[in-house]
Amino acid sequence: MSTTRKRVYGYLAEFGSASALYKAAEKVRDAGFRKWDCHTPYPVHGLDGAMGMKRSILPWFVFFGGMLGTATGFGLAYITQVEIYPTVVQAKPANLFTVPAFFPIMFELTILFSGFTTLFGLLALMKLPRLNHPLFASRQFHRATDDAFFIALEARDPKFHFDKTRAFLEEIGGKSIELVEEED
Amino acid sequence: MSHHFVTSADIPAEGERISSSKLDSVRRIAGGAAAITGLISAYLLFVAPPNIAGPFAYSWLFALFFFFTLAIGGCFWTLLHNVSNSSWGTSVRRIMENLGAVFPWMAIFAAPLLFPQVQKWLFEWMNIHNAAGGSPFDGFLFGFYGSDSVKHGLEEQGQALLVNKAWYMNKVAWYIRFAFYFIGMGLVINGLRKLSTAQDVDPNPGTGNLFKARARSSYSLIIFAITITFAGIDWLQGLKYEWFSTMWGVYLFAGAALNSMAVIIITATLLQKGGYLKRVVGPEHYHIMGKLLLAFTIFWAYVSFSQFFLIWYANIAEETQWFTIRNTEGWNTGSIALVFCHFVIPFVILLQAWLKKNPKLLSIVCAYTLVMHILDHYLIVIPERSVSLGNMLPDIFPLKSDAHPDGITTVIPGAFWGDIFAFVAVGSGFLFFYLRALSQTATYPHRDPRILESANVSN
Repeated sequence: MSTTRKRVYGYLAEFGSASALYKAAEKVRDAGFRKWDCHTPYPVHGLDGAMGMKRSILPWFVFFGGMLGTATGFGLAYITQVEIYPTVVQAKPANLFTVPAFFPIMFELTILFSGFTTLFGLLALMKLPRLNHPLFASRQFHRATDDAFFIALEARDPKFHFDKTRAFLEEIGGKSIELVEEED
Repeated sequence: MSHHFVTSADIPAEGERISSSKLDSVRRIAGGAAAITGLISAYLLFVAPPNIAGPFAYSWLFALFFFFTLAIGGCFWTLLHNVSNSSWGTSVRRIMENLGAVFPWMAIFAAPLLFPQVQKWLFEWMNIHNAAGGSPFDGFLFGFYGSDSVKHGLEEQGQALLVNKAWYMNKVAWYIRFAFYFIGMGLVINGLRKLSTAQDVDPNPGTGNLFKARARSSYSLIIFAITITFAGIDWLQGLKYEWFSTMWGVYLFAGAALNSMAVIIITATLLQKGGYLKRVVGPEHYHIMGKLLLAFTIFWAYVSFSQFFLIWYANIAEETQWFTIRNTEGWNTGSIALVFCHFVIPFVILLQAWLKKNPKLLSIVCAYTLVMHILDHYLIVIPERSVSLGNMLPDIFPLKSDAHPDGITTVIPGAFWGDIFAFVAVGSGFLFFYLRALSQTATYPHRDPRILESANVSN
C-alpha cells in the first residue's frame, strides 16, 4: 500500500465583488506577501497599485528592441546603398545625406522589432506558453472566467503558514477557502 | 489609485472660481503691454518707411500664426473631447474651452493682413493681381471663383500659373475665407463654451447640454479642419504662390494640437499650484495629457517628414524651392535642429510614464515643446522674407552683397528685433484674452454629470 504525497500549491479564496477583491488585495499587499495573484473575469482598474506591483521591465526590452530595429534598418540600407554599391538616383547624394530615403525601412524595422520584443518578451516574462497550471486542479477556479474573484496565496511565499494564512484570508473576507494541491 | 476617492461632497455646489490679485495684475499688465505694443506695431506696419514696414510685416505674420495655432488648438481639443464622448478630461475641459475662447479675439491681430499696405509685402500674387488691372468682382458669384477681367490681364502679362490658380487664389475669395475663419470657428467655440458654462448655474443639470455639445461638435470639426487648413494656405503657403504642399494643412494641425495641449498642461499645473483644481485633477490626468503630447510629437514628425520626403523624392522645382531656402546657411542649422529638438529629444523624454505623471516635469517638457514650436513657425515664415523683399525692393534689401556674391541673402540685418517685438505684442494680447477667459468661468464644470467619473479616472 502506497500513499501519494501531493505538493501544496497554496490557498485559493473567493471574494464577492471587484471592490471586495480590491480591498483584500491591499491587505494582502500590506501583510507583506510576495508570491500571490488575483484572478478576475475582467480587468480591474488600479488593481496593480492595490497589489503593490512594480512596473514591468518589459518597456526597456521594447525600447532597446526598437533601437536595434532602427540600427538594423539603417545598417542594411547604408551598407548596401552607400558602401558596397553606391546608388545614384535623380542626382541625389550617395552618402550620409541619403538618409531620408532610408527612413521608411528604419521606421518599419523599428516597429517590427519592438513588436517582436513586446510579444516574445511578454511571453517569456509570463513563462508562457505552458501546458498546465496547478490552480486548474481547483474545481471552483474555472469561475474566474465567469463570475468569481479569487486571490491565490502560494505556499512558496516565505510568509505562508498552513493555519495562519487560512485565518488571514478569512479575516480579510475570503470565502470558500480551498487548499490547492498540485495534481500528479 | 493613491489619492482619496472623490465624491460629490468634494465638489463645491457653486463651483470654484479664480480669485487671485496676482493673476489680476498679470492680466492688467498683459493688457497694457498689448495695447502699447499693438499701437507701436500699427505704426511700424502702416506708417514706418519700407525698410522697416516690409520686414515687420513678416514678423507680425510669424507671431500671429504662432498664437493662432495655440488658440485654434484649444478649439480642437474642446471639439474632440465633446465628439468622442470622453469622460477623462471633464476636469480640464474648461481650460480647453477657455483656450479656444481666445480664438475669436485673434481676429484683432489678424486684421492687419486685411490691408493692402501689409499685403503688398507678404503676398506677391496680390501685387500681380493688382497690376493686371480689371475689376476683381467681374465673374461668377462676384468673382468668388476668379474675375474674368483680372484673368485676362494676367494672361496678357504671361502669368499662366496665376490664371490657373485664380479659381482659388483671388482677392474676393481670400477676403470671404478670412471672414469665414473667424466668424465660423468663433461661433462654434463661443457656442460650446456657453453650453458648458450654462450648466454651471443650471439648478437641474442633466445630460442635455452634454449631448447637445456632442452633436454640435461633430459637424463643427469640419469647420475646424477647413479653418486651419485654408488659413494656413492663404496666409503662409500664399507667401510663395508657386509653391504648394498637399500636407500643409495637416502639418499645421499637428503643431497646433501638440502645442495647445502643452499650453493646457502648463495652465493646469499653474492652476493647481495656485490651489485650484485640487480635487478633480490628479497624476492620471497628467498621464493622459502627457500621452497625447507624445502622440502628437510623433504625429508632427510623421507629417513633417512625409512632407519633406515627398518633395525631396519628386524633385519638382516649384516644390523644392521651399526647402532650398530653408537649407541655405543658417536656416539649414535650424531645419536640422528641428529634426532632433522637435522630435527625437521630446520623443525619448516623453516615453517615460513616471515623468508624464509629474506635473512639474511635464510642464518643463511642455515649455520646451513651445520653444520648438516657435522655431518651427519661425522657419515657416521668416526665410521667405529676405528673398521676397529682395526681389521687390533690391535697392533697400540687396539680394547680392559682398558676403553673398551669388545673389542669395538669407537674413535682413536687424529685422530680428522686429520678430521679437511682434512676438511680445501678439503674445501679451494672447495672454490677456486667455487670462480674461479663465477668470470669467469656474475652473472646472462642477455640475457636469461626468465630473466625478473624470476626477476618479484611472488609466
